[in-house]
Order: sequence, then C-alpha cells, then structure tokens
Amino acid sequence: MGEGAEVSDVLRRLAVAFAEFEAQLDGTPLIRKLTRGRFTLEDYRAFLANLRQQVKDGALWMSRAASHIDEDHLELRSRLMRHAVTEHRDFRLLEADYVATGGALADIQGAEKNIGSEALSAWMFHEASRPNPFGLLGAMWIIEGLGRIKAGEWGRLVRDRLGLPEEAVRFLLYHGENDTTHMAEFEEMLALVLPDAAVAERIVKTARVTGRLYALQIEEIGA
Amino acid sequence: MTQLADAYITGAGAFLPGEPVGRAAMEDHLGRVCGRDSLLGRRALKWNGVETRHYALDAEGRATHSNAGMCAQAVRAAATDAGLGVEDLGFLAAATTQGDWLVPGHAAAVHGELGCGPLEIASFQSVCGSSIMAAKAAWQAVRTGEHAVAAACAGEFSSRWFRPSFFEGTALVDAKGRLRGEADYLRFTLSDGAGAVVLEPAPRPDGLSLKVAFIDIVSLAGQFEPCMWAGAPLEVRGDPLATWSFSGPQAAHAAGAVALLQDFDLLKRVIRAWVGVYLQKVDAGRIRPAEVDHLLCHYSAKSLRGEIVSLLEKTAGMIPEAKWFSNLASVGNIGSASIWVMLEAFLRTGRLRRGERVLCVVPESGRALVGFMLLEAV
Repeated sequence: MGEGAEVSDVLRRLAVAFAEFEAQLDGTPLIRKLTRGRFTLEDYRAFLANLRQQVKDGALWMSRAASHIDEDHLELRSRLMRHAVTEHRDFRLLEADYVATGGALADIQGAEKNIGSEALSAWMFHEASRPNPFGLLGAMWIIEGLGRIKAGEWGRLVRDRLGLPEEAVRFLLYHGENDTTHMAEFEEMLALVLPDAAVAERIVKTARVTGRLYALQIEEIGA
Repeated sequence: MTQLADAYITGAGAFLPGEPVGRAAMEDHLGRVCGRDSLLGRRALKWNGVETRHYALDAEGRATHSNAGMCAQAVRAAATDAGLGVEDLGFLAAATTQGDWLVPGHAAAVHGELGCGPLEIASFQSVCGSSIMAAKAAWQAVRTGEHAVAAACAGEFSSRWFRPSFFEGTALVDAKGRLRGEADYLRFTLSDGAGAVVLEPAPRPDGLSLKVAFIDIVSLAGQFEPCMWAGAPLEVRGDPLATWSFSGPQAAHAAGAVALLQDFDLLKRVIRAWVGVYLQKVDAGRIRPAEVDHLLCHYSAKSLRGEIVSLLEKTAGMIPEAKWFSNLASVGNIGSASIWVMLEAFLRTGRLRRGERVLCVVPESGRALVGFMLLEAV
C-alpha cells in the first residue's frame, strides 16, 4: 500500500497516520480518563509536567534540523528556523498554566522526562542530525496536528471538567486556536521536497514513529 | 475453494409515509416537550439542510404506519421494480435502529407484514450502517448460491421516539422544561421511511442492473464509547452494566436512559476516524476516486460535508461534488433506510449509464462504523 509521492499522496498517507495516532492516544489511560469524565487535577498537573520537557525540546530539534539542511533547500531552512523561533518559548506557557492550577514552579521545572519522552526526544534529535532531515516534516505533521486538532478539544474538556479558569489551560487552548493557519504552510513545505519517492517514504515513516512514541509518552503519565 | 458467483441489484424500492412535512410543521407531528417550542430545532434544521421530510405520525401525533409495515411496502416496491413478486423471495435481510418489538428481530416483523410463505430471514440492528450489514448478508446469500432471489430492506420510525412522553419527567428535561441538546438535536435530525433492494445472480433482462463489486464494513467500536445511543444515561453510557434493563424500565426512563442521544464532541472525533478509514481504502487502491462516476454518501448534516470536503481535496481522495447525489434536503436523514431511499431516487433520475460505477458510503456514528459498497451498472 501507499503509492505515489505527490504532495496530495503524502498528505493522504499522513492523514491515515494521524488517524492511527489518534486511536493510540485515545487508548492511553490518561486520555481515556479525560474523555470519560474521570480526569483529576492531579492528572492535569502530571500531564503538564510530563509534557514540558518534550515541548522545550521541540524548538531545539527543529533548530538542529535546520542546521543540517543544505544550501539547495534554503527556503525550507528559513521556514524551520522561523518556526523554531515562534515556538521556543512555549514551554513557559506550560509552566504558567501549572502555577495557575496551584502547582509550584520548581516542581514542573524539576520534573524528569518520562520513558516515552526520553524515547521521543532521542528519536527527534537523531533524525534532526541526519543530512537533509526531510522526514521530520512527518513529525511536524503529527505534533502540529495534535495542536491543531486535539489540543483545543482537550483544553475545553480539562477546563470544563475541572472547573479551571482560562489562565490555567492556556497552553492547550492557545494551540487549538493558533495552529489552524499552519496547514497551508505545511503543504508549501512539503512542496519544497516533493515529489520524491524516498523522501515521501521517510516522511510517512517518521510520522508513524513519532506518533507511536508520542502516545508512549502520554501512556507513561501516571499510568 | 468454490468460486463465488456475482450478484446484482435488480430492483430498488422506497416507501415514504404521508405527504412531505415542511420545517414549520415538523414539531406538530413530534409534539412539544412540556408544551414548549424546541430551543434547538430551527438551528438543527439549518445545520442539517433539511427542508422537508416524512413522518409516520400524523399532525396529531397518531401513528399511520409501523416500521415493519413500511419495510414490507419497500420490499414489495423493490420486487415489483425487479419484475418479481414477494413470493419469489428466498431470503430476507432486514435492518433497523429500533424495530417495533424489542423481541423478536425486525426481519420476523417484516416477514409478518409481507405475509408471504416460508423464507430464510436475518435481522440486523445497529444504526445507519445496519443497512449495509443486511445488504452484505443478502449479497452473500446470492453469491454462495444458497438463494436465487434475496432482498435487503431497512426502515426507521424514529419520530415515535421523539414524542414528548419519551422525555417529560426524565433527567433529560430541566426544571424549566428545557430538553437537553443531546436529545433535542436528534428530534430534528431523523425522519421516517423505508427502502429495499432485491439481489439476484444474473442481471435483469431489460434495463440496468447494479453488479455489487464489494461491500466493506469497518467498525471502530474498540476505540470509541457510544456516540449515538439509546439504553444508557449520558454519564455512564460506556458501561454495559449501567444499561437500562438493570434498573428496570421505569427507573431507566426517569434517568433518561431510554431516549436516543448523540454526543456532538465525540462525533467530531468519529468523523476524523471515518475519513481515516476512507483514505486508507484509497491508499490501498480499494477505492479509486477517479473511477467513481457517482457518489451516494449518507450524511446527516450538510455542514458536516463541508468539513470533510477540504481534507479530501488536499489528499487526492475527493470525488468531485458534481458526482455527488443526495436527497437529504427533501427526505431528511432516514437512518438505515437512507441509502436505499437515496439509491432508489438516484436510479429514477435516469442519470446512470451502463459501465458507470456508483460508490455508496454509509457512516454510522452509533459506535463509529463505516460501510462502503461499490456498484457497477451493467
């Protein structure tokens, strides 16, 4: 299965990979609790603390990936660098949300990466260190799709179920609102490296691995 | 392995009760919960894009037909369309969301209404997708050579579940007499009616028949809680031990466990999962959008269609809108009966040409299922 290396073919395979990822996420104990009304404030704090370390790494692997893109692909390099700049302070928002729930700043800052976060981070930096790491566009699809599609949905559930004020759920709600313009941008980035059969394969593979490891990270939270 | 024979749809029939009912009169037929106009009704109709629909209830709320009776009428019409009579049937598969009886199955009720001689029957109970389950059974019955004439029918009498007595005095209505959105929305989403097809191992001698290329059904229930359901209160709808019969019918009714309900937030997730299944079929080459000449997609709301279209366009999964056929605006969403009522109306347009392919897609939000049926005009 999976023929074709045009932008639309890759987007289709990425959409399937995302559906697979969403099923994996929905099956994790934490998200199951959230969607079935059994989510607690402790669960939310654990979620924020576990997410922070990996979110902080996001802009870092993106920068590293940019530094491994050759001069034939300067436009993609520029875009990744700009993207990294936009996102590299996002983890501060997570910290502020955590504090707004009544948690201590030192606790979230001192939290360790869980097993899934370790695997996810190691994978991202490994991929970003390869020459022309175009496969990472697949990772961006998964992680940004999460922001575009799931974050707002989760944010509203957390807010409503726990009766929290907006300022305690900004990271999730903010992503739900802001990532909607990224889709068109993402298509343009794909068009910078496609059509190319090997690149297409790598993008889809990287998306699937990233999705599985991301779900592992969520699975490891308070499970 | 024995070779399976091909099977062809040689007749289609529909039965819509009464005259079309316009938007303004719909609630007259359903009745007003606690005497109040619905809060959501108008918005739901705008969202659904439904202009008229049929009810098996008259303007005073009295039943004019039964679910089984409407199905029997549709089966007769399909048999007549095929140039046959009900006495020619060997197998009858019947589908519905909720039949007239709790027990026995819907197919027995339809057979009873047909009043014909001994038959093999099979009952399928789910939501919209039960139609495709029944079609698959009828198709297989013909393919294996067990029956020379098989019918698949589907019918709904949803409106009786939307009568005020289903809601008044239950946890679904607040102190001011306002009905919860999860219940009220469906009151303006679903219609009554029935449809049927007849399948045979050879095309009809005159006119067009539809060769069934495949019927695929994919359930994602392992991944989702019920999204549209009856038989459990909202809060505990995923727990089979919390379903209605454990507390007895009166307590279950008071808890709002008997009414038909829909979870909108979950529906959005389910829609993405349906699109995922479809794109997987495209990716695997099972569905080739460029080779589909007509698309009959069962969807309950015009606005849902918009959300899906942009994703399909970007992923080369789209079948151009000019190839879509729908009668949602005039008959509404008739649940399991929709796909046959739509197919029957499509065939009557005379648009179909020999050699063309018709793709039928039937998503069911119940617990996240989607059915596909590819037909080829011969």
